[in-house]
Amino acid sequence: MNSTSTITQAIRLVRRELRGGLRGFGVFLTCLFLGVFAISAIGSFTESAKAGLLADASALLGGDLEIRLAHRELPTEGISFLTDQGQLSHVATMRTMVVDIENDKRVLAELKAVDSSYPLYGKITSTPQLNIHNELDSRDELGALVEAPMLSRLDKKVGDKVKVGNAEFRIKGIITTEPDRTVRAFNLGPRFMISLEGLEATGLIQPGSLIYHAYRLRLPNRETVDQLKAEMQARFPEAGWRVRSWREAAPRVTFFLDRMNLNMTLIGLCSLLVGGLGVSGAVRGYLDGKITHIATMKCLGAPGKLIFTAYLLQILFLGLLGSTAGLAAGATLPYVLKQLIGTHLPVPMTPGIHWQVLVVAALFGLLIALIFSLKSLGLARLVSPSVLFRGYSESGNRNPGTAVKVSIIISAMILAALAILTSSDQRLAFWFISGASLCFVIFRFASTTVVKLTHLIPKPTNPSLRLGLGNIHRRGSPAGSALFSLGLGLTALVTVMLVQANLDDKINETVPNEAPSFFFLDLQSDQVESFEETARNLPGLTKLERYPTLRGRITAIAGKPVTMAKVAKEVRWAVRGDRFLSYAKEKAPDIKVVAGEWWPKDYAGDPLVSITADLAKGFGVGIGDTLTINVLGRDVTATISSLRDVDWSTLNLNFALLFSPGVLETAPQTNIASIHVPAELEETAFAAITKQFPNVSVISTRELLKNVSQTLERIGTAFRSMAGLAVLIGFLVLAGAVSADQHRRIHDAVIFKVCGATRFDILGAFAAEFLFLGLIAGGISAIVGSLAAMGILKGLMKIPFTLHPGTIITTILTGIALTVFLGLVGTWRALGHKPASYLRDVN
Amino acid sequence: MSEPLVNIVDLHLSLVGGAGEVNILRGVNLSITKGETVSVLGPSGAGKTTLLMALSGLEKPTSGQVQVAGVDLTTIDEDGLARFRREHVGIVFQSFHLIPTMTALENVSLPLEFSGCKNPEEQAEEALTKAGLSDRIDHFPGELSGGEQQRVALARAFVVKPALLLADEPTGNLDRETGQIVMNLLFDLQQEHGTTLVLVTHDEILASRCERSVRMIDGCLREENGAGS
Repeated sequence: MNSTSTITQAIRLVRRELRGGLRGFGVFLTCLFLGVFAISAIGSFTESAKAGLLADASALLGGDLEIRLAHRELPTEGISFLTDQGQLSHVATMRTMVVDIENDKRVLAELKAVDSSYPLYGKITSTPQLNIHNELDSRDELGALVEAPMLSRLDKKVGDKVKVGNAEFRIKGIITTEPDRTVRAFNLGPRFMISLEGLEATGLIQPGSLIYHAYRLRLPNRETVDQLKAEMQARFPEAGWRVRSWREAAPRVTFFLDRMNLNMTLIGLCSLLVGGLGVSGAVRGYLDGKITHIATMKCLGAPGKLIFTAYLLQILFLGLLGSTAGLAAGATLPYVLKQLIGTHLPVPMTPGIHWQVLVVAALFGLLIALIFSLKSLGLARLVSPSVLFRGYSESGNRNPGTAVKVSIIISAMILAALAILTSSDQRLAFWFISGASLCFVIFRFASTTVVKLTHLIPKPTNPSLRLGLGNIHRRGSPAGSALFSLGLGLTALVTVMLVQANLDDKINETVPNEAPSFFFLDLQSDQVESFEETARNLPGLTKLERYPTLRGRITAIAGKPVTMAKVAKEVRWAVRGDRFLSYAKEKAPDIKVVAGEWWPKDYAGDPLVSITADLAKGFGVGIGDTLTINVLGRDVTATISSLRDVDWSTLNLNFALLFSPGVLETAPQTNIASIHVPAELEETAFAAITKQFPNVSVISTRELLKNVSQTLERIGTAFRSMAGLAVLIGFLVLAGAVSADQHRRIHDAVIFKVCGATRFDILGAFAAEFLFLGLIAGGISAIVGSLAAMGILKGLMKIPFTLHPGTIITTILTGIALTVFLGLVGTWRALGHKPASYLRDVN
Repeated sequence: MSEPLVNIVDLHLSLVGGAGEVNILRGVNLSITKGETVSVLGPSGAGKTTLLMALSGLEKPTSGQVQVAGVDLTTIDEDGLARFRREHVGIVFQSFHLIPTMTALENVSLPLEFSGCKNPEEQAEEALTKAGLSDRIDHFPGELSGGEQQRVALARAFVVKPALLLADEPTGNLDRETGQIVMNLLFDLQQEHGTTLVLVTHDEILASRCERSVRMIDGCLREENGAGS
């Protein structure tokens, strides 16, 4: 028989097999469906969100082009140049305190002052709907639009008056949509929108104030933006401003989406791997049921190759079916989400069919179906016709052959390569795949070993316990695959829960111990002395820190322009845009110099800079090399004189770049300060400082960390959902294993009854079996999950790891309870089977 | 005359199937004394196996009485019947019905384990040795021949020293020579334990080894030799 006729014959056989329907493939199809759905849904959502960001790019950016400066406005020459190119809009943003005039209550706000051209794209909508420019800048009074949380925090309503700096504003409405409101993980305060004239009236614009000016341009043809950007860079090479086009509208959001997509896809792939066990169990169960059929065909002359090909085609067809259903559901998700909760999503969505995502997800599904079916297919090929002459089919493991083993390895390598090559962080994907594979191997080894070790446990005298324990290590027992699938799913859940719990610890424990109570921004230089005096008189003060602050951008590293320098990925943030800088005469007590020397107190020589050790490593520089920073349009080149180790997690004031005295004193600047007071005295401290220094913005560390914690909780929910999916698939696999085992259990239950077992004896045996399985799976996953969480926290995130026994135990107990429940539900049928009718049918 | 071990009075058993109600047993009366060997002959579908099921408590009669070892099986619930079987009844099937994932030793130990025996393996091994299978105790049914499997089934049936042994076509799946070996063992064990034997067979030669024969025709019982309905 040549290849073509083998395939033709095989297709004929497949059609006959499929005439019997898809019975027995429920778990197979469901596992593939869920796994492929997870991956395609995540990918489709991400691409639809990115498409939405791109479609709304100009609205999100506020224009086709944005020029951004800190501390200063655009010079006249720049304004004229831009005005000649298209419609220009000027927006200023800063953080400030909004004050309730009646009771002096203060709230930190994200202030935005707009001109009459704003917004260039999109619309501001509010409640009530207003003509914003009429309302913000009417002749009689200054108006403001606010976000709803501002009103609730100040206990105010639309129509009330508040004060910012020296000016009073009447709240005219609540902002419902702000087209260029950057999507952020969290905000320090609600929006407070006024006109540029209103900002002028507040008196907050001081030299060095931490105010950002954004100039947005609407072009006649936005495709010319790259050309314009190049022209600007050529014309104003030393300008020191940041230019972004609509193509880079929301880089942080895009980065965050890619990151979430990567991590969740990897967990989704884990779920699919667990689902592979369901595939394996279903195929094994199906082919076990076909042994007599296969033996008969072989007796009639069918070669092993035909048997293999026929069932392989059938598996691939069913794999395609399950994967297609998963793809359809995943591709539809963005449409459904937009329809149901479109306005509540944090990112704009433009749903679409993203073929690359779907093809990759489909390939994952098919490869999983193939990898986890090949062994059973190989064994089916080896079924001997002599089976027809025996009372029972052969049980126990057999070798499927070298060709099958090699095929499995190659398919697995293709799957791993596909996962790595299609991910946005190939290094992380590689480590994740390696870790998942290691987990797979560990669990395979552990489940096989543990099952064998149950032989060594002394046989209980109670018949139910004895039978239950015996069932675990009995030939053909599904214990191995049940331990494997359930264990992997529970491990994923334990890992995610422990990582989340430790991250929560990290945030919570830092607040009372080391972090400052408040940060104060925009403290003017002429306020420093009185501020420090006021702060020192605060009751309970334990620490006061203050540094001058400026903004600057690194433009050259060791003499090489930053665009040409090699910068490690983990410190690229330092060369993206402006950074906070400072300078100091003396070394503060908690500054830890690890290389080089701190300058003397009275140093007056060439510019020196002290940078953090990780920055130096990432830049590939050391003591004696130079850094060039552009500060307000002026390049400053300083020699690196020392390296510092900084523990940012303490939230104490520190800077990645600290200059020696005599370099930046004359530049416009403000000051940042922090104080440490006991929690019960925070309110007193807040009131004292804000009353005397109304222009100073105050950030409460407690509020800040609460915000971060809430955001992490939301992100954690997403990850827990994915891990939950892995557990769900694990249970499905277990359900599949139990279901595939039905015939054996029914037969065994009948014989047990014949031999005198009561229903309680039989139920007890099955319950004991599943309880043992749940305990073993739970125990192994507690260990492996804890090790995985420790690896992620200490290895990747550099955070200390604490075991949370409560978290582990709760997760494991839930898993055990569900295992026993699932197992008993699955075996109830066996229990209820009447022996006589079974025996009559068999005889 | 000693009290009969088995006493069936006016036994009726009907089953509801796809085609409606089928009367399998129609007023069967049968009395068997302790230690007696009785063969039940009859064509296929006559109700022989159903009679055995009723005697073992695996099937509940529609009406009538089934008394075994002084216990009326029609008055006991399912668990009670299971407990009764483990102490008083051994059953051998045509298809052996061993647990394929248990070794010969484990299969034979089963009824002893259910009855709470402290050293079931010891007694099971003894039973297997008597059946000539001392070198096969750790083998799985799939590794045994048909005759060996049936001998394991016999060992399992006799290990509890039952008062009543029910055998349903025990040599039906075996060749003549192997069947002979199995039947010799069956009768040897029966004599050794003084077990009352009810043997369902369509083999007249096999039936002649029993002291008494009855014949099932269309759900009714007729004595071939001796008293009956």
